[in-house]
Amino acid sequence: MNLPSAIRRYAEHPFRQAVGILVLAYIVVVWVVPVLPGSAIVPKSVVLQYMVTVLVGVLIYVSDNEERWHRFKEPIQAVLVEPRLKLVRAAVLAGVTALVGLVAYGQVTTSVAAPPNLRSIHPAPPAEITFRGKAITLTGLENPLRQHTDSLAAYLAEGKRVYYQNCLPCHGDHLDGQGHFAPGFNPLPANFQDNGTIAQLTESFVFWRVAKGGPGLPREGTPWNSAMPVWEDFLTEREIWSVILFLYEQTGWKPRTWEKTEPGGGSRETGGGHD
Amino acid sequence: MIDVGAAVALIVMLPSPASRLPMQDTTRGKAVYVKWCAGCHGDTGAGDGVAAAHMLPRPRNFTGGLYKIRTTASGQLPTDADLLRAIDEGLPGSAMPGWKGRLSDAERRSVLAYIKTFSSFFADTSQHVVPLKFSSPPGGGTGADALKVGRQFYDSIGCRKCHGDQGRGDGPSAPTLKDDADFPIFAADLHQNWRFRGGGAVEDIYRRLRTGLDGTPMPSFADLIDQKFLTDQELWRLAQYVRSLSPAAPPEVRDVVHAPQIPGTVPASPDDSTWARVARYWFPLVGQVIHKSRWFAPAVSGVWVQAVHDGKRLALRVSWDDRTESPDTAWLKFEQRILQTVAGDDSGSPPPQAEPWPDQLAVQFPRRLPEGSGGMERPYFLMGGATDPVYQWRWISRPRHAFAGLARGIERFDTLPGAPAGQATYDRGEWRLVLTRALATPDTANEVQLEAGRAIPLAFFAWDGSSGEHGSRMAVSTWYFLALDRPTPPGVFISPVLAMLVTLGLGLVVVRRAQRRGGARHIS
Ligand code: HEC
Ligand code: HEC
Repeated sequence: MNLPSAIRRYAEHPFRQAVGILVLAYIVVVWVVPVLPGSAIVPKSVVLQYMVTVLVGVLIYVSDNEERWHRFKEPIQAVLVEPRLKLVRAAVLAGVTALVGLVAYGQVTTSVAAPPNLRSIHPAPPAEITFRGKAITLTGLENPLRQHTDSLAAYLAEGKRVYYQNCLPCHGDHLDGQGHFAPGFNPLPANFQDNGTIAQLTESFVFWRVAKGGPGLPREGTPWNSAMPVWEDFLTEREIWSVILFLYEQTGWKPRTWEKTEPGGGSRETGGGHD
Repeated sequence: MIDVGAAVALIVMLPSPASRLPMQDTTRGKAVYVKWCAGCHGDTGAGDGVAAAHMLPRPRNFTGGLYKIRTTASGQLPTDADLLRAIDEGLPGSAMPGWKGRLSDAERRSVLAYIKTFSSFFADTSQHVVPLKFSSPPGGGTGADALKVGRQFYDSIGCRKCHGDQGRGDGPSAPTLKDDADFPIFAADLHQNWRFRGGGAVEDIYRRLRTGLDGTPMPSFADLIDQKFLTDQELWRLAQYVRSLSPAAPPEVRDVVHAPQIPGTVPASPDDSTWARVARYWFPLVGQVIHKSRWFAPAVSGVWVQAVHDGKRLALRVSWDDRTESPDTAWLKFEQRILQTVAGDDSGSPPPQAEPWPDQLAVQFPRRLPEGSGGMERPYFLMGGATDPVYQWRWISRPRHAFAGLARGIERFDTLPGAPAGQATYDRGEWRLVLTRALATPDTANEVQLEAGRAIPLAFFAWDGSSGEHGSRMAVSTWYFLALDRPTPPGVFISPVLAMLVTLGLGLVVVRRAQRRGGARHIS
């Protein structure tokens, strides 16, 4: 009997699977989620909600099939009735009782916690914005500088200057949101190296976020917390398009592009990726 | 065979490690440098990249071969290991980030080789770079006797001339300090070791005392050992004393300031003994780089906050390190140099004129506790806006007083008639301020009503007048929370005990039923 197959046989039991899934879910919610970029520590009440949801899911799964349900109950049944498991039975009873006591104690002495910071990271952009008094249609808009292939190097140089003189303190020189002022803000500045930010967005979306900043976010984007400045107060339209060129060039991501589907104008976004 | 022998001979003959690197390594190093370092350190390594004017300290000028963080004697070049450490870990308290984990091993080593090519000193192979030998720290370094010895030498060697009596960077020479490039430089605040450029451990401090920070006024004290003015052990004691000024671990930022309820009345004085028993919370502050006119060199790097209430009034104690009790004319020249060095938004026009500004602090609340969006919604953190003002307590060092008002953005502040009571002490580089106010006030429309058991949003802003800070040139924080804790109710154990009894009872019933059924099955 070799080790992998022993492990597989061990893991085949529905009861152990259920326990495994619950433990895994707990680890993910409590330790993995907080280290993901752009997220925070999950509040205890939310952890409880998640765990209850997972538990219900697991119960549906194990009870979905007669035989699995039967095997799932076996170890539980055994602990409840087998005379030789008397000690285990007592321990489980005492353990559960103590746990309930602890949870209840935690509930009554609970102290005030910060409200959960639930925010939509990429809220829906408006179809049109006014940039320094000029109307700009975002839908279907591409970075106009990309058409001037012979001046691209100059635009990139300009974008680099704009980035270093303005974005650097927050988004950092590695573009990973770890500038020297970043620790002062919540939410943390966006990490452009991460595949969840500019890699997922069209350049017109990025233009909107840069031009209108935190105060331009809709409510679900928690505009009251975002430290992102309103860059139309500082930068020209060309400077913003240049710095957007620089973001993609420096990180190696490709922007999401608009795909013209109907001649009448309806356009759709298609995915971007890393190269 | 002969070729290999010749090659070996050649390698043995080449003395400098840098020149032994194969040629393509510098090309690769250059590519890394141009992409990731040049924006700050400049294309020619002169420390004049496009971002340079927006930071203090300025990026290192590599052409001079002067480095702060070394294991070599004062005036010597750093070893490769020293440079690699600076690149890997960065220089805390400056804009220089750590690159470990962001650039690969090979990239960091090749960029190291490349930055050495900027200075002819590294090419001079007659200079041998040898690290100093460092002893290991003598034990008992946290004991009172050891610290007393350390403090004696702190006074007798003249650390206090620059770092001040309590080590907060407020010594009499501090306003005159410049680095070798003539930029203004602050004597380090020895209470914030997590911002030391070369690391905050006792060993790091000891090394800096042996080597000095080249290019800065911070000298090496190695010659004092040679002159038998102090022993190596005593230098360790000094390092241990300096270490003891900072907290054991860098402060962790927590979201919620808990204000316990105390019997009696809340303390109005910042030096009341109550404060020694109350937890303190650290909130980092950063430059106001969001609104015109932006400020890239904030002087106050954070505030320590404590709070208590007595059921009727709240007392909030804010303390922060500040080298000057502004306005202080001794610092006017220094202020002028800072304003000349740090670029703002008015580039082109001459830098703002130094003026004897006061120190200021603001504590910000929403006007009302948030209700909408699950209690999340609140005014804009940067002093609210035209339509959603914030309620602020302000304190100013001259004429020294506290007041309250509504801010509608950075530019507009309207004073309200009701003000918190404020008492402040300036003590050798530190402001300690207590603001107190009734939890409930008559003006419920404008003044936040402080309810126990609620998460009350709050934020902080600080200005150091002698660093030219005034108006939008300030240090800011994001929203945090204040919670007035209720005293633990006496019946706190009742419900957990009840819950446990019910659980145990139910458990027993389940076991009994299972056993009866199991038994029945056995019989049938
Ligand atoms: C955001 C701007 C910035 C970037 C980008 C940057 N540096 Fe620095 N660097 C600084 C500053 C500022 C200092 C000076 C800090 C001080 O003097 O306290 C510095 C100092 C240094 C030092 C001197 C350490 C010493 O002991 O004196 C080295 C070496 C260095 N940087 C290497 C690099 C390398 C290599 C890169 C690119 C991989 C890089 N830096 C990128 C800002 C930057
Ligand atoms: C002539 C003024 C001067 C004197 C005297 C002086 N220092 Fe400093 N010290 C400075 C300056 C300026 C800095 C900041 C250097 C920088 O920002 O890079 C500094 C930095 C430091 C640091 C931080 C090192 C780091 O890694 O960033 C320590 C620790 C320190 N000094 C301790 C001492 C002690 C202990 C003494 C007395 C033995 C002393 N200093 C004497 C000016 C001085």
